[in-house]
Order: sequence, then C-alpha cells, then structure tokens
Amino acid sequence: MKKCRFHFKGTSIALTFLLLSFLFLKTTAYSQVSSSTLVKGVVQNMKDEPLSDVSIVIKNLKTNFTAGTVSDNTGAFQFSGIPSGGPYTFTITAVGYEAQVMSGYNLKIESSLTLLVKLVPSVVSMESVVVVGYGSLKRKDLTGAVASLGSREFKDLGLTRIEQGLSGRVPGVQVKLSDGTPGAAPQIRIRGVGSISAGADPLFVVDGYPTDNIQTLNPNDIESLDVLKDASATAIYGSRGSNGVVIINTKRGVSGKPKISFDTYTGVQKVTKLPEFLTRDQQAQYHFDAIKNRNIDEGKSVAGDPATWGIRVPQTVLDVLSGKNTNNTNALDSILRPAWQRSYNLAVSGGSEGFKYLVSGEFFDQDGIIINSNFKRYSTRANFDVQLSKKANLKVSFNPSFTNNDNVVAAGGGAGPSTSIIGTATSAHTYYPLYNADRSYFVYQTVDASTDLFNPLALVLEKSDKFKRTRIQSNANLDYKFTPDLRLNLLFGATIDNTKGYSFAPQLPAFLNNPATGTDYASGGYNWIGEYTLNYNKKFGKHSLAALAGYTAQEDYLEANSLTSTNYPNNLIQTLSAVSGIISTGTSTISEWAIVSQLARVNYNYDGKYLLTASVRRDGSSRFGANNKYGVFPSAAAAWRVSDEKFMEKIRWIDQLKFRASYGLTGNNSIGNYASISTVNYLKFTTGGAAVGGFAPSIIPNPDLTWETQQQFNIGLDLSIKSRVNVTIDRFISRNKDLLLNVNVPNASGFSTALKNIGVVKNTGWEFVLSTQNLVKKFSWSTDFNLSLYKNKVEKLGPSGDDIISGNNITRIGYPIGMFFSYVTDGVFLTAAELAKGPIWNAGLADRTRVGDIRFKDLNGDGKITSVDRAIMGSPYPDFYFGMTNKFSYGDLSLSINLAGSQGNMVYSNAMVIYRLIRSRSRTLSTEANYWKSEQDQGDGKTVRPNDNPTGGLRQPSSRYMDKGSFVRINNISLSYQVPDKLYKSLKLTSARIYFNATNPFIFTKSLLFNPDVSNSGNALTPGIDNNNYPLPKSFIVGFNLGF
Amino acid sequence: MKNIKYSLCIIITLIGTSCSKEFINRPPLSAASVDALYKTDKDFLDATIGVYQGLRVQYQNMWQFGDIRGDDGFIQVTNQPSTTAVDLFSINSADALLNSTWSNYYVVISRANILLAKIADADPNIVKNKDLYIGEAKFLRALAYFDLVRIFGNVPLITKVLTLEEIQKTGRTSVATVYNEVIIKDLIDAASKLPVAFTGSAIGRATKGAAKAVLGKVYMTTKDFPKAEIELKELTAAPYKYNLLANYNDLFDFSKDEHHSEYIFDIEHEENLGGQGSVFTNYFMPNVAALLNYYGIKGGFNESLSTTTGFRSIWSLTDKRKNVTFTCCGEWTNPTTGAVVKFNSTTSQSFTSKYLTSVPAGGDSKANWKVTRYADVLLMLAEALNENGKTDLALVEINKVRLRAGMAVYAGLTKEQMRDNVAIERRLELAFEGHRWFDLVRTGKALEACAAVGMKDYMSIFPVPLSQVNVMNDATLFPQNPGYN
Repeated sequence: MKKCRFHFKGTSIALTFLLLSFLFLKTTAYSQVSSSTLVKGVVQNMKDEPLSDVSIVIKNLKTNFTAGTVSDNTGAFQFSGIPSGGPYTFTITAVGYEAQVMSGYNLKIESSLTLLVKLVPSVVSMESVVVVGYGSLKRKDLTGAVASLGSREFKDLGLTRIEQGLSGRVPGVQVKLSDGTPGAAPQIRIRGVGSISAGADPLFVVDGYPTDNIQTLNPNDIESLDVLKDASATAIYGSRGSNGVVIINTKRGVSGKPKISFDTYTGVQKVTKLPEFLTRDQQAQYHFDAIKNRNIDEGKSVAGDPATWGIRVPQTVLDVLSGKNTNNTNALDSILRPAWQRSYNLAVSGGSEGFKYLVSGEFFDQDGIIINSNFKRYSTRANFDVQLSKKANLKVSFNPSFTNNDNVVAAGGGAGPSTSIIGTATSAHTYYPLYNADRSYFVYQTVDASTDLFNPLALVLEKSDKFKRTRIQSNANLDYKFTPDLRLNLLFGATIDNTKGYSFAPQLPAFLNNPATGTDYASGGYNWIGEYTLNYNKKFGKHSLAALAGYTAQEDYLEANSLTSTNYPNNLIQTLSAVSGIISTGTSTISEWAIVSQLARVNYNYDGKYLLTASVRRDGSSRFGANNKYGVFPSAAAAWRVSDEKFMEKIRWIDQLKFRASYGLTGNNSIGNYASISTVNYLKFTTGGAAVGGFAPSIIPNPDLTWETQQQFNIGLDLSIKSRVNVTIDRFISRNKDLLLNVNVPNASGFSTALKNIGVVKNTGWEFVLSTQNLVKKFSWSTDFNLSLYKNKVEKLGPSGDDIISGNNITRIGYPIGMFFSYVTDGVFLTAAELAKGPIWNAGLADRTRVGDIRFKDLNGDGKITSVDRAIMGSPYPDFYFGMTNKFSYGDLSLSINLAGSQGNMVYSNAMVIYRLIRSRSRTLSTEANYWKSEQDQGDGKTVRPNDNPTGGLRQPSSRYMDKGSFVRINNISLSYQVPDKLYKSLKLTSARIYFNATNPFIFTKSLLFNPDVSNSGNALTPGIDNNNYPLPKSFIVGFNLGF
Repeated sequence: MKNIKYSLCIIITLIGTSCSKEFINRPPLSAASVDALYKTDKDFLDATIGVYQGLRVQYQNMWQFGDIRGDDGFIQVTNQPSTTAVDLFSINSADALLNSTWSNYYVVISRANILLAKIADADPNIVKNKDLYIGEAKFLRALAYFDLVRIFGNVPLITKVLTLEEIQKTGRTSVATVYNEVIIKDLIDAASKLPVAFTGSAIGRATKGAAKAVLGKVYMTTKDFPKAEIELKELTAAPYKYNLLANYNDLFDFSKDEHHSEYIFDIEHEENLGGQGSVFTNYFMPNVAALLNYYGIKGGFNESLSTTTGFRSIWSLTDKRKNVTFTCCGEWTNPTTGAVVKFNSTTSQSFTSKYLTSVPAGGDSKANWKVTRYADVLLMLAEALNENGKTDLALVEINKVRLRAGMAVYAGLTKEQMRDNVAIERRLELAFEGHRWFDLVRTGKALEACAAVGMKDYMSIFPVPLSQVNVMNDATLFPQNPGYN
C-alpha cells in the first residue's frame, strides 16, 4: 500500500513537469502574434493628477482576447498589437479607487485610440478584490471578516520581512516585534490566543500554497496580503484555520513591453531604547552600602577598613569611591553598534497577452545592532502566466532563495556561565574594563569582581554561530474553462527546504575556561501539495451563485540531525573534524505529516443585496488519533447590503451599509506529528554481567487525540459615507474547546499523565476600523485607524481543574491564560515601628525581613508571608491595541506615518530581577538611586536598601520585577518624492522615486527596559516574559526606485 | 491535449480517494511505535527486559520498606525527611516516596500486561521463546503485586490492557483476591514455564527456582504453610542445585560472581555500564572520608541507614555474620594498617557492609539487591515445617544456616521455641536485605517491635498516595487506608 503514496507524489511531480513543458511550447506560439493597433491613454484622479500603477485590462467580448497593462508614473499606459475588431471593453482598477469599466470600443486595422480615464477614490473600495481561501471576491460580496493590504501599503518601508508590514494596520492582528534579531519573525496572534499547549501561529498561504515559513519571501514581491479572521473565512482551511489565515499573493506580470524596475535602499540602524542604570559612582556607593548592610545583618563589625570587614568590600569599589579607579566602560556601548542594512531589488515584467512574466531578484543584507550578527537573503522569483488556449491558462511561480544568519545569543541571564550577550553586557560593572592593558580579554573572575561573568565582548567576537537555509518554493496552477461558468483549477506545488548550521565557542579565560564546544546541525526536507478545485459561477436573473468544490493533499517530510562535541583539542579548528570522533551528544530524527481534504463552498446572492455563504471542509490528518482521523469543519454566513434597498435611496450620504453575521468551526492541528501514538523508550537492564537493551512504552496511546476545535461567531458592519469615511466594526465570540492538556491519570495505568483534548478557552472581542479621506485636493490626507479589544478566559482545564503554574505565570479557570502570579509588594518597611507590624518574611531566620526591606501583601492575613500569599499580580494582555496610518501627499511628495500601540499590559522581566536585586553584583537600574539608608534618611520612601545578601524575601519573584508594557510606537515615517520626468527623460528612465523611511524611530512608553513589546517564547502559558531578548532596532533608510 | 488533462484528473481522483487512508497513516520514523513492535522473538525479549528494568527502579527503594520501617535499621541523620517519616511511622499520604513506589510497581505491571496481551496471539514458530517470556512477565507482575499488597493493602487489580476510562473505574481489590487471582496463579504458571537455570548472557533473569521461592514466601505470608512447605521443599532437591556458600562473607564479596549456589533471584546491577549500577553502597555509607577512600567509593555517602541498638543487642560475638552485617559504633578500623578512625559525632555511627564495594561514581555500584536467596528459603522451610508440626525436620533446616554462621546447632526445641528461634535466625541471617518489616507483619509481631517508635495498629500497611486518591476522586472506589485520613 505504501507504493501508492509515492505514486501520487510521482504523479504530481510528473504533472508539474508536463505543465512546465506546455508553458515553453505555448510561449513560442504566442510570442509570434503580430501587432496591428495602438491603444494608449492616461489615468487621472478627479483633480486631473496622474495615477500610476493602475491596472488596465482590455477585452474583446467576441473573441475573448484579453490583455493588460499598468499605468506609469505620468498616468500613461499603452497597448500595442491589439487585434482589430471589437467590441472591446476596458476595465480599470486601482487600489483605493472605484473600478471603472469602459465598453463599446471598435478598433480598425492600423488605427490608434486614445483614452482619458478618471477614477473616483474610495477609502476601501467596494469593488476591490479580496482574496479569500481558494478564490477571490469583490469586497461588496464578502460575508466574512477579512482585512486586505495591497502592495502600496508596504512600498518604501524597507521591510525586512513582510509580516512587519502587518503591525498596526489590521485590527484583530497583534504583531509583536519582540525580537530584534536580523531576519527574525515577529510573533503574530490573530484574535487572541485560543490554545494552551498547541501552536498559535496563523497559517500562511502563499500563491495558494499553505506553508509555515515565509522568512525567505522577498517583501518587494508581495502584491497583496489578506488576513482571514472569522470562521466563515477560515473554515475553508479546516483543521488549520483556528489561528487565522494570512493569504499572500505575489506580483505577476502584465502584458506590455518589458518594464524594468530597480529599487535599492541603504540605511543605518540603532537600538531603539536602553535601560537607565545608576552612574558609575552611584553604583560603587550602592555596592559599598550593600556589603555594609550584609555585614550588619550577619552581625559582623563594620568598623575600620572596609577591606578587612567580615564580608569585605571589593577593592575596585573602594578605588572608585576614593577616585583611584577612573575606568568607565559601558559594555553595552561595546557590543551594540550602528548597523547597516541595504537592499537591491530588480524586477522585470511584461509579456504578451499569451505569455506574461515577472522575474525578480533581491539581495538583502542586514547587520544586527549587536556586533557580529547579520542576516542576508538572496531571493529570486519567476512568475509566468501562460494562456495555453482559449480555455486553459497556466500560472507558474518559482521562488528559490537562500538566507544566511550569523547568530548571537542575546537572551538570558547575566551571572555564572550565561552566554547571553545582553545579560552579561548589562551585568558587567562599568568600573571593570573589557580588555586588559595587553588587549587580552578581562576576566570577571580572577579579580574581586562582583560575580562570575563571561566577558560580553568576547561572547560577540569569539563565538560563532552560522546558519544557512536554501529554500525553493514552486507551484504550477492550471486553470481550465470547460464552459464560461465552469472552471477546473489544478495546483501542484513543491518546496524543498534545507538548512545547515554550526556553532563554536572556544575555550578562553574570558569564558571561565569552560571547554570548547561545537555543534553541527542540518535539516532537509520537502513539502508538496496537489490540489484540484472546480468552480461554478452562474447568474439566473437576480440570483447569482458561485460554487466551489475541491480536493487537496499535502505532505511534509523533514530529516534533522545535530552533533555536539566538547572534545576540541584547541580553538584552531571549529568544525567537528577536530574532535577525533568523540561526539558528546548526537541526535537524528525524521518526521512527517500528511493531510488530505475535501472542501466545498457556495456563495449565493440575490440582487447583490442578500448574501449567503456556506462552506465545509473535511480534513484527514496523519496527526489525528486512529479513532478521529477525519474532522469536518462547516461554516455559514449571511450579509445584507442595506444600502442597496429601495428605502435607503433617499439617504444619499450613505454609499454602503452592510451587516454581516457568521458562525463556523475551525481546527488547530498544531498538536505535534505523533502525539496520539504510543512510542517506546529504549532502556537497559543487566543480565549476564552486561547491559542488554530493551524497551517499554513511553506514553499512553490516545487514539482519540485530535485537533482543537474553535467555534466562532462573528457579526460585523461595514459603512461607507460619501466615499470619504469608511467604518468597519466586528464583534466576535470564539470558544476553543478540546484543547490539548497533559492531565493526571491514575498511575495504575503505568503512566502518570496523558495528553487529552480537554481544555476550553474563550475569546471575545471587538474590532473597529475608521478610514477617512480628510483632504482629497492637491494636498491629500487620509487616515486609517483601527482598534482591537479582546478578552481571553480559561473555562476548563484538566478533570480536577487545577491551576497550571509555569514559572511566574498561572493559567487558572476564570482568568486569561498565563497571568503573572507571585507575591505582591506593598512598599518598604521604613521604620522599626512599621516592621513590628509585619508581615515578616521568614521570621526568626537569617534572611528575615529588616527595616528598609520590601513589604509583601499578606493576603490571607496570618501575619506571615508564605506561598499561599501569592496571587495574580498583573496581566500580560493589553486592554486594547491599536494602529493608525496617516498618509499625506502633495504633488510629487507623499508622506506616510504608521504607528502601533498597546495599552494596559504588564511585562514580567527576568532582566529586572537582575537589575533590581539590590545585590549590586550586576548593574542596578537608576530607579534605585534614592534608596532607603536609615530611618532618618528614607530616600524616596519606596526603594529598598541595598544588600549583598538579600533579606526579606527579595529574591522571590514578585510584582517588583514587573515592568509596564503599554506603548505607542511609530512604526514608520516614510517620505517619498516622485522625481519630475523632465529631470530624467534624457536618462531613458520611465520613472524615478526617492524615498526616506524611518522604522521604529520613536517609542513612547513607561517601560524601564529595552522593549515593552516582549514575548520570550511562543509558549501560550508564559506570555509577556522579558528575558533580555535581542533589542529592537530603529532604522533610517534612503532609497530610490527607477523604472526603465 | 484536452484528453490528457481529463485522464490526468481522473487518475488523480482515483489515487486520491483509494489511498487517502494510507496517505494519512504515518507511523513515527524516529521513535518506534508500540504497534510496530511486539512482533518478533527479539521484540518480546526486549519488552521482557523492559519489565525487569521497571522493577529495578523500584527496588532501589526496597530498603526503606524492608529495613528502615522495621526495627533493625533507622535513620540517624535527620536531613532525609521522607526516610525519617518511614522510620518513625509519621509518613503522610502526600509523601513522594509513596507515589513513586505506587507508580513504579504499576509501571512493571502495565509493561507486563502489555507484553502478555501482545504475546497471547503470537505464533510460537516466530516467537520461539513465547512461554519463557510469559513466565518472566508473570513472575515480575506477581512480584510487583506481592510487594504492593504488602505495602498498601488493597490495590487496583489490573491484569489486562485497559483504557484510561476503565482504569478510572477500577477501584481497590481486596488483598485476598489479589493473592488468589494474580499472585499465586502467576507464580504457578511462571514456575511451570521458566527454566531451572540460565546460562551465559541470560544469567540474572528469573528462573523456576525464583518463582517457587517467591511462591513459597507468598504462602508463608498467607499462612498457607502446607503449600509453602511443598514449594520450598522442592528447592532443596534436584533438579535444583542450591547450596549455602561455605563462607557467609562471600555473599557480600562483590569481586566474586554474585550468581553462586546460594543465589536465587537478584535485582541485577553492574558498574560502568552507563546507569546500570545501584545506589546501595553510597546510600549506606557514613560520612567518613578515610573509609570511602579506602574502599574507593566515589560519589559520596548518604548515611541513610544506621543500625539500631536493639538489633545489635541480639548478636553473639562469635557469629561469623556479624562483621559484615554491621560496624559499630562511631569508629572503623582500617583493615590494612589497623588504624582506628573515629567518626564525627554528627555522622551515622554504624553502617552495614553488606553492599560495600568500590564505586566508580555515585549510584553506580555493582552490588545487586538480593530478592531472595537459599538461606531465606531454608529458614522459611524450617518455619513452615514447624508450623505444620514437623519441628524435628525444621531443626535440620535451621541448623544448616546456624552451622555456616559458626553458631551452635539447636536441638530439642519445642514448636514455640522453634518459631522464636527461626524469627531470630531470619533477623540475623537476612538483615538489611529487605525482609525484616515484612517478616514482622506476617508473623504479627510488628506492633510489639515498633510501637516504641510510633507504630499504631493500623500501620502494618502504608497510606495510599494522596495523588492517587485525588485523581481517582471516588471515596467508595478508592478510599484511603483506615487511620490515614
């Protein structure tokens, strides 16, 4: 039986080749069509200003001959070689404008025709096309909640990844820029978090191909980005729809003579924000007092020379205080840098009506703001559209790319053998140098340093970690029209993805002489998809029907291995060939998944007023347990275009008013490839004096284990007023059930826990969009504002409903997933009288609370602070988040400002624990400057005394280590200038644009740390944790775009 | 061309639907699935080894139940709260030792159940040693249940592969039923299927003699002395070749082969095999660097077992077993130099040398745990004969053990004297080998021996783990043991 699996795969590959060969056959056939007629024209807005990038499609209604082009910078467009005859119809579409149809043109042989096209603006044009799963719709016909962004929204922004472009632009989509690593993906959560232990990332669909990795995608290639949010839109993706779907379509060629576009920019990046620390002298005094307080606490004398106290003050500190030591080295200054980034992008597009092409190539090179980190992307794309016959159309997309990462470890703590660059660089005191006088690395151990520390500069300069990825994504899409109403679409795609990396850390005194360690790792795999869909579109009088049925199968296969050795004889050779075969750990794994689905959808509308959509998908997945191999995901939606009703005719200021409602089921299949299957552990026992191998089942099988289910209800309204104001409001309620949890089971089963579909989490939310055209004259100004509110609530956990405590986060029934949980602070004990009232931490013990120490809230009132006094102390979730884009244009100048914000969330900071732990062994935040010194000198009355051996429970996680997470961040300020053509006519250019963009130039926040927009991991149980993550860069770029 | 396209569509449709079931059936490629295993003879051998391995995990704890709970050993160093609570009868149901013990035994049982379920339909032509594996699995399952009922009393009786829902509804079965339905039947079946001895690389696995010896002990525990006598008596004659070693100390000389004529069944351990060693050497050593260095014991000391005054008081100075059984008090004499090393007062003042050997790393001792050995069988046989009114025959058996220890033989004992003397002899002969507490309980002497350190009458069994009471969440089906609520 296994054979047939490969047979299917073989068939699809063979078919792809077959289709490709058609392509080249037909290309030659069509490129020989001779020219006869010239059609040209100009597209303008209502102010007679030229409009560029407008799509014009010409179609002969008799012969079905079609061709398309786009207007250039002056608004001009041109068709050549249009066969004579007619009648011809022109369809003119542009993002932000109502589409226009001009019909009834008859062309004579060797004649010419000149058109003047005027377009009416529309904030969110109701005629514009929205891409939905397995098809597209006009926005006015949409029944679900779908947000669309066109390529214009991303133009000139210098995006390093396309996902960045979503930040602040789409309601219900939270884009966390938590990691400043070059090339790193932001975390995207659509409509909250609906899973506790399975994946929460949305599904990406690139040119119809569902995929999970878009790192290698060139942002300049993107034509449109559509976010499917409600169940009526996502249910067509079945068991992969729960986390939302982002559909990305790439640019395609339009017929006409070759258009060459060259775009390049270069710029510099700097860190957005730095924490403020005590000054060098403040820190030394703080350090001194910390040691003094420890001696007092421990009953040791603090009389005489501090270098002779029971716990002596480090000589370096004394030297700073006496002025002998004048060293002031901020390690952060040494490991951070202004970093360059540059991009070169060349695209050629054009073709005839029979063969259209877009070929692009990109080189993107981004240095990280931490020394020695870098990301490079080399990406090429060839998109071909071939009209094979009157009925058959073939689209081919081919996207090979290569990326190279030079990685550094930013995140982590500061002390001991931590290799965290940010952790160590913020811990290293400024009175120690990074280099010794002989230019060797300073070692934070041999002197009286505060704590053992790896030298942060050595960490960035001496360690290496290189990672490379080669990815080829390709698909061929054959569209065949049986009749004008009935179309068959075949899609075949394949992706090859290979990665390779190695890392090496040498043995150095600066790394406390830990043995040299090297790892070599690689992965390779493929993913393919085969899909066919039938589309039927028909109008019967006022009834119009669009039906879709399809079948799709997708398979993924991945091999990965990793070898590590700590047996390097020296630091000379970094590859594993140096370790004479002594590998410390090695792993090698293979995993695969397969999904096979049937899907169907019907869109029906009556007179364009009453719209109904119903869809269903049935997914069979290798990941599901044997008893639940297939899941069915139905949805239904209805919409009513009130504005088309007779009674609305009098209300002329309303252009459009539509109510929408939808309900549907979707699934989350990110449950791991083999979670349902009982596998064995290999183990050993001794017989005959030797170890013999055996095995035993490692997990209890759960043949019922299956997808997580989301039931989502959505109502929405779209309102458009006088073509100037557009409002969209959505309200959703989604209940995520069957969530995967490891629950306790009777140990008599031989196991203590089992993975079950048991949890329930509810998300409810509101989404608002307000788009306005404030000024539409020569000086134009538009505003897009969006706001999202959502609430998350855990309704059911395991059978006994116990809390899940993960570090300092708690997941508890009745609360959102992963609230911050620990001791709540309540000021400082300022006087002995206050201390006498308690509550005291560890009364009677050596680390008991003293005057000047922190006070915790005694929640159960027993006068003591014990673990039962821990409580929910804050939320990692914002009350609301929002985004706003303002666009201004004046003649050839345009300016766009985009911002994103988050309000009301908190951050629990592992870094803050280091910076505020009053030990002074690491650098201390400047908030601690005015600390409690005595009952007479209480400082600012809210800052605890320094103490080298913290007392009063200060080491406990508490609300003291929380940071404010609210912020408003200017994502982009983008200014571009369309150079007047008289300046470059002599250069044979057709267009020229210069642009300037600032990314993340300003961030307004009360956060004390690098970045309030944090998320240390994708783990839903531990949101909002800061862990010294790679700081977010701001960048300033200058670029130009030339058309030939 | 149109035709080609049509035919391709049709082909894909056909392949798609006929293969979709197979297409989405993807067993793991890097981890063997349970369904793919249990097919060949080697698979079942490996699965059997897996059951032994489960038992080994638990037997690292056996000294706490057999020796700490009883009146021979105690924990002098009080930084081990769990062991202290076992010793002083203050253990509560939330103690991790109880939960891990419960879990460990059920791991053995569940592994055996899966093996037995899978092997039931196996073709003996393919699984050539089918009977052997059944015998071993049943022996190990019986041993696990035997320990479980002796530690916890009534326990869930599971002998098949059950679903979680079924297990959730499986309450505690009476001790008598567990003995009758599983322990005795399994051991009888195991004895019929296991070989008298293994050779070469299989040495260490359960033999017919092991099944008989444990069955004899089961009958002793259920006070079925006539049956006990029959089973134990068999072990003294052919085909069995059991014999006491001439020199008692050789039992604990780990430079010699532990599979000698007195060996019946051990939990096997070897050093330097990557996690095959035992913890006992490190666990019982006092904090005396000179001693540890002398014997080459790496990985430290736990001081988890000291000997009680009461235990030491029953010893005759001439007993050849004494020196290896315990060293006391607060000093140790270097056997080579004769130098006397005094112990720090906060250190365990006495220790047993029954597991003394060099250890290359903590927890990697080659010392086996002796589940039962021939001296145990002889003393049980003596006890059974005596209970069956054959005190004169009992004398023969007990005197074999006395003679080897260099002690005067008994003569002319009454039944009561014999009963008491067998009990004392067991205490002397088998100290710190996991027998004492269970002997006290089965002979009804536990309260008498342990009331002084806190034992109450209901404490002949331990509380069942609180976590299990919680997860079962049904006081009728799964109550706590009386007295522990």
